[in-house]
Amino acid sequence: MAVQSLYGVASLLASALFGAFAPAWLVVLVADAIFGAILLAASMLNTILLIWYERKLLGRFMDRRGAMHVGYAGLLQNFADGLKLFRKNTYPPREADVLGFYSGPTAYLVSSLVIFGVLPISTGWDNGSLPLSLLLALVIFSFAPLFIFVSAWSSNNKYSLMGGMRSAAQMIAYEVPILIAVVAVIVLSGSFDLTTIVAEQRNYWFWAPLFLALVVFVAGMLAEMERIPFDLPEAEAELVEGWNTEYGGMLFAFFMLADYLRALIGSILIVLLFLGGWTLPSYVPSALTNFPLAGIVWFMVKTYLVFGLFVWVRASLPRVRTDQLLRVGWMRMVPLSLLSVFLAALVVVSRCLPVIGCVPGMGR
Amino acid sequence: MASSEMKERRTEGPSSALWIAKPLATAARQFLKSLVRPSTIVYPFERLEDPQFRDRVRVASGEPIGIGRVWDNYRGVHALNIATCISCNLCAFSCPDLCIDMVTVPGGDPKHPKKCPQIDYGKCSYCGFCSDACPEGCLTMTTRYELATSKRSEMVFSPQQLYEVFERKLPMNPIRLERPENEDAILLEGPLCIGCNACARDCPTQCITMLDIPKPTAKPGERLPKRIWKEPVINDSDCVRCGTCISVCPKECLFWGTHP
Repeated sequence: MAVQSLYGVASLLASALFGAFAPAWLVVLVADAIFGAILLAASMLNTILLIWYERKLLGRFMDRRGAMHVGYAGLLQNFADGLKLFRKNTYPPREADVLGFYSGPTAYLVSSLVIFGVLPISTGWDNGSLPLSLLLALVIFSFAPLFIFVSAWSSNNKYSLMGGMRSAAQMIAYEVPILIAVVAVIVLSGSFDLTTIVAEQRNYWFWAPLFLALVVFVAGMLAEMERIPFDLPEAEAELVEGWNTEYGGMLFAFFMLADYLRALIGSILIVLLFLGGWTLPSYVPSALTNFPLAGIVWFMVKTYLVFGLFVWVRASLPRVRTDQLLRVGWMRMVPLSLLSVFLAALVVVSRCLPVIGCVPGMGR
Repeated sequence: MASSEMKERRTEGPSSALWIAKPLATAARQFLKSLVRPSTIVYPFERLEDPQFRDRVRVASGEPIGIGRVWDNYRGVHALNIATCISCNLCAFSCPDLCIDMVTVPGGDPKHPKKCPQIDYGKCSYCGFCSDACPEGCLTMTTRYELATSKRSEMVFSPQQLYEVFERKLPMNPIRLERPENEDAILLEGPLCIGCNACARDCPTQCITMLDIPKPTAKPGERLPKRIWKEPVINDSDCVRCGTCISVCPKECLFWGTHP
């Protein structure tokens, strides 16, 4: 019997372990716990692999090799780094607010992890398919500036505070165009459910009619992830290390992991909303899509390619100024995203694509 | 609207899109170029002097590194051929860092032990003056550059260690600067000489011979000096200008000069 979902894997394991002697409600509870553990392990593993992937790619962009000595091609380097950080002490500054200092990074990491619960990765592997999963993911995604600001303020360090201020300003400025760009997707697909949005892309991927929204979404996600060229909150030349200046050891690792978790989530959202999720176009030979777990494999390939795009941008562009960043956010991104909503509405009304032409069954 | 803002406006538009596209294209080109093999030479596993890099890696002037090319000019660890060393001390004289000591090596006769250079690489600046000064060409510089040690004392290379370097037959850099033909010569101030044979005895190249000179007849009332009636004659073509004779002369009657 092929297991059709992640929760199916978890309940199979739970009934195999406890099914013989435990009451049914306990088996369900254990299945929930195993489900959460698998999700945590998978997201953490992917995050660490993502760091490795970025280091290798960035190395090639800079005509060098990335990590290469620990494990095959340096695969274990980040695990070693993680172990080192895990063993280190964290010293809060004397004047720091200890509660905020410790809870800020923890909440930042946890809120990023929670989003994985609502992200579908393949047909059936959608963890229950909430009707408002896209909205929930974006809402949890936008908690981050609050936690960053709490940890920056409670560090009681002027550089941390400045980094936190910049981070909050930047994230709020780019939250708006991102959400409006998402509205364009929602208009085209008619659903807040990520699974339905992917299913609606069976004829054409949404990046074709919504290219403008894709551009806005990618730029906004770059800003949300605080990656170069939008890494003003961590601007090393000006602000030491930005809002995580005072953090060391495992708390710093929390920030690092959460940053890359958010990068992973951003890439996944782009794949889900614009690049057809786990589906492939119909002209692709069926040999490529007819093996077990093909959906998950293609989903991961797309996600990593999208993250490669972020690395490419990081390798190419210099950091922008705060005023440039905010001006582009409010004065370029917001009108462009509104325009893309208009285009989406036009597609829905006219049932035609700008380039491809009119296809029966297009729009709603 | 402030004028500064107007100025900034002008930089936007199509040119600002190029500002983003150009570096992206450059980075992509670099990525494709280094996808197969980045320029990095993975040093402990690969070396610049490995055959596959000799023609690929070039120095700033465009010359490829390799045998018979720039690489030959490298000044690394010295190689010492103990057999041809004449213990002339010129290397130690010429060293600007005073990193060369002449130490006794087995093989000399007990009265006049053979001395060869011992080099402290903690001090050496790899200038090559010693190699240049060496009259016999037995102290040369090789292409060996790996000298990492765990102790400072291990950086002092004895003559035997330098000989081991020589035996490895590494590519050598024969540093010989052009010298004027008639350089300094060693001259004798005859009346002071007592014919003691010290210079001829210590000369590393055996180019000094003691020749008999006629014993003058004493004038009435004059006392002849107590001496052996011989004087050193230096064969200039064999002399290596090491100065050993000058330093051993008890009467300081030998000195540097030029032939008239």
